[in-house]
Amino acid sequence: MAGRIVFCGVGAVGSQAAMLCRNLEAELVFIDFDRVESKNLLAQAYVKPSVGKNKAESLRLQLANFHGIKAEAFGVRLTRDNTSTLLDRATLLVDAFDNAESRLLLSEYARAAARPLVHGAISADGSFGLVRWDERFTPDAEDEPGQATCEGGAHLPMIGLLAAALARSIQDFHTKGERRDAMVSLSGVAVSG
Amino acid sequence: MVVLNITYNGLSVDYPLEVDYRITDHDVKRIAVEVIRAGHVKGLQIANLPQNTFDKYVVDRFHGPQNKGERIYLRPRVPFGA
Repeated sequence: MAGRIVFCGVGAVGSQAAMLCRNLEAELVFIDFDRVESKNLLAQAYVKPSVGKNKAESLRLQLANFHGIKAEAFGVRLTRDNTSTLLDRATLLVDAFDNAESRLLLSEYARAAARPLVHGAISADGSFGLVRWDERFTPDAEDEPGQATCEGGAHLPMIGLLAAALARSIQDFHTKGERRDAMVSLSGVAVSG
Repeated sequence: MVVLNITYNGLSVDYPLEVDYRITDHDVKRIAVEVIRAGHVKGLQIANLPQNTFDKYVVDRFHGPQNKGERIYLRPRVPFGA
């Protein structure tokens, strides 16, 4: 294995992007404390038998059972106390968290430990998404506290498009060391960098 | 000259603009409303676009690849990985 790619947050964007990285010769690692709910099946990479189980562990099992791919899973919340333990051996960090606080925590760690970090993020209305490397990324706050996330199925095509752009950026970095950003809207995917 | 890229309602459009790269975020948002209302932005022509449309939007500024000009992006917030 030529690398260790750690997906932080495997909800809609993270789980779909992780599935699109199963072709890579790398250790895939998933971190998420959350559990799969029925409504998640519409937008996330999970299947019905995973409902009620931890997302990170479910994704690991799905990759093993359906695709024969080995991965690691940590069903915990990322905090200041466990970042070093969970992220220390990563050759690439992928941020697909759903809140600015966790994104900031990850950025702080990546900058202090000199780990490459790419972010995937989507707007609440599912009309726009970003793939951006950490050196050019600032986390956005919600428009208003408690704003609904696009966790249902309404935005699945856009989530798929963003996840594919994120997976492509991950693969370009893993295989060629390139750090490409992307802006994803209904009018297309604009890649830069 | 800078290129102003406006993302609204799922569409993303470039609009060349004769302004200083360092104009304020407030001015970027105000100009975006005006050019969309005036029908100058291909694919984004909305005569009655509300003045506060971009109040909660984010303004990003980047230098283009290989120093090919400067770009200002006006885009929705992206708080979620959901």
